[in-house]
Amino acid sequence: MTFSLRSCSHSAHNASALTPDLCHHGNTRAVSQCMGNKMNGSVGPMRVLVTGGSGLVGRAIERVVKEESGEREEEEWIFLSSKDANLMSAEETRAVFERHRPTHVIHLAAMVGGLFRNMRQNLDFWRNNVFINDNVLQAAHDFDVVKVVSCLSTCIFPDKTTYPIDESMIHNGPPHETNFGYAYAKRMIDVQNRALFQQYGRRYTAVIPTNVFGPHDNYNIEDGHVLPGLIHKTYLAKKEGTPLQVWGSGRALRQFIYSLDLARLFLWVLREYDEVEPIILSVGEEDELSIKFAADAVVEALGFEGDVIYDTSKADGQFKKTASNAKLRKYLPDFKFTPFRAAIKETCDWFVANYDSARK
Amino acid sequence: MNTGSGLKVIAILDYYSSPCFKCILTPEVFIKPHLSVSLSLSLSLCQMDGSVGPMRVLVTGGSGLVGRAIERVVKEGGGREGEKWIFLSSKEANLVSAEETRAAFKKHRPTHVIHLAAMVGGLYRNMRQNLDFWRNNVHINDNVLNMSHEFGVVKVVSCLSTCVFPDKTTYPIDETMMHNGAPHDSNYGYAYAKRMIDVHNRALFQQYGLKYTAVIPTNMFGAHDNFNIEDGHVMPGLIHKTYLAKKEGKPLHVWGSGRALRQFIYSLDLARLFLWVLREYDEVEPIILSVGEEDELTVKDAVDAVVEGFGFKGEVIYDTSKSDGQIKKTANNAKLRKYLPDFKFTPFKQAVKETCDWFAANYDTARK
Repeated sequence: MTFSLRSCSHSAHNASALTPDLCHHGNTRAVSQCMGNKMNGSVGPMRVLVTGGSGLVGRAIERVVKEESGEREEEEWIFLSSKDANLMSAEETRAVFERHRPTHVIHLAAMVGGLFRNMRQNLDFWRNNVFINDNVLQAAHDFDVVKVVSCLSTCIFPDKTTYPIDESMIHNGPPHETNFGYAYAKRMIDVQNRALFQQYGRRYTAVIPTNVFGPHDNYNIEDGHVLPGLIHKTYLAKKEGTPLQVWGSGRALRQFIYSLDLARLFLWVLREYDEVEPIILSVGEEDELSIKFAADAVVEALGFEGDVIYDTSKADGQFKKTASNAKLRKYLPDFKFTPFRAAIKETCDWFVANYDSARK
Repeated sequence: MNTGSGLKVIAILDYYSSPCFKCILTPEVFIKPHLSVSLSLSLSLCQMDGSVGPMRVLVTGGSGLVGRAIERVVKEGGGREGEKWIFLSSKEANLVSAEETRAAFKKHRPTHVIHLAAMVGGLYRNMRQNLDFWRNNVHINDNVLNMSHEFGVVKVVSCLSTCVFPDKTTYPIDETMMHNGAPHDSNYGYAYAKRMIDVHNRALFQQYGLKYTAVIPTNMFGAHDNFNIEDGHVMPGLIHKTYLAKKEGKPLHVWGSGRALRQFIYSLDLARLFLWVLREYDEVEPIILSVGEEDELTVKDAVDAVVEGFGFKGEVIYDTSKSDGQIKKTANNAKLRKYLPDFKFTPFKQAVKETCDWFAANYDTARK
């Protein structure tokens, strides 16, 4: 059933008939965006633009939307990739919004990389991500998007901090030196969200996942994150009959979240979560794991039987980043995460089956 | 290349192929205005030992409070032979636009930049428009720093402020504490945009070895300020209100309780220090430019100095229903004193008197 864009009858003069933080119509073009503007917790039919739609989280959301009745009748989901638009360009970003006229945005697009790439290119990580984020948030505002859910990360939190970290602590000190460019750029999404709310009443928000993993990740060993890097290296070690070299001591601690679980939670945030302050999306503190534990799970999933060597000359990155998911649990006490080993097995199976086309 | 002036050019590098250009000229040579060259001829002497040769300095925000003070100090003996100083204003280029910023850099080809341009305002305007303060300043700062990098600028000195420091903090604040917590809620948009200059500087140093830096003045005042009462800062606002109160024979209404504490720095003193930072200060970490903690004053002290500066004899009323902003922001100038133990600041009452005199003499053209 196609989604009519012309049924919205209110104009700037009728804006007061809606809840006050909606429909700031400065022009007739924005009138058509009003479908789905219900801030009582539910939303009507939406047109959702997902930036970074071809990435790890984007693909997971796409799968959940398609396979798990995530898509409601009359909704439209558009998954954007960098092929469609370079979001570092304001013009290209606006062209995308002009073309798709979303009512909602899930903003995942970013310049990302693992520890070692961040350490070398803090300027690029800072600038490119600030541009992307500013372009998307500003275009969303200009095109009267009802809600934007952006994606932060626990790696942007203050380096010197008490644990567990929670949503109120993001700005309480400088981030870790290794990725301060990326970290500040992500933090500024929250600053811009708050400013959009303060100046215009927009309820744009953000989520804070811990370490994400799953199919469709970037498995590049030099630039990748810890789990996809491990999966790729173990695959090659098994194939070539060489030892598995793990960077760092293996003692660093992380909370891992499976991309499909994250996607399910993203949909809940989009539809139901009404705060401007971000929300941590993670397994609980009790499920924090060491890198060694993760390596063992990957070794088991791929059936690797060779030597595992820990190269302690390489950096561990932040030793721990324990995040509290109390806020999530307050809202969704019964949400079930996929068990870690099962999620690793699924991911490894996917990687083996899709090795040739996987990003690496 | 025939320059017609006996110019000995040892090495010319095209701007776009090198992040740091060097062009060594024999000292007695000068470039005649009618000279036309098809290559990008650089006049910079990139000496990284702390001293600099003749510079071409672009001052963004050149028509503002600090820019005008720098211009005056440069003209009255602070400049050196062979230097060229360009004072840019928003009339010439809108630095929120990347294209216009690039055009300005292309036109002026600076070797050094003093970056003062910003969207600024007093307490009340900030409270209403955090988004605009955030976005416009991020764009301006990114454009200037990025163009400086691209055009091989040796050094950029940007301008932060003590108002960008964490709200919850111990006192006195020093240069290491800037990012240690969230800024005050009243101006977080402006504050974060300014803080990100320091982030950008550090990233430029980490990725490219560039030593761009920044200064952190406390509350500045002086001639050529923005004296708008609604949007202005505390000193120019007081000066304007006192002038009007005297002229109209009305009471002087001061917003807030008068108990808030501030360190004030006269724009001419700040300008002298800016020149020192540009020439001599070699760190990437910013430096606080301020009178010492012992010279912290209340807003009431400032009111009294302005009242005296104008000879105002009417009533002074403190409207405590208005916000004080941050009650104190005491900054530590130990780093400055370590470098310049003998620097003399203009005495406060004298600086206020000079500023009041300027305002009265220039009322019609003053920004308000």
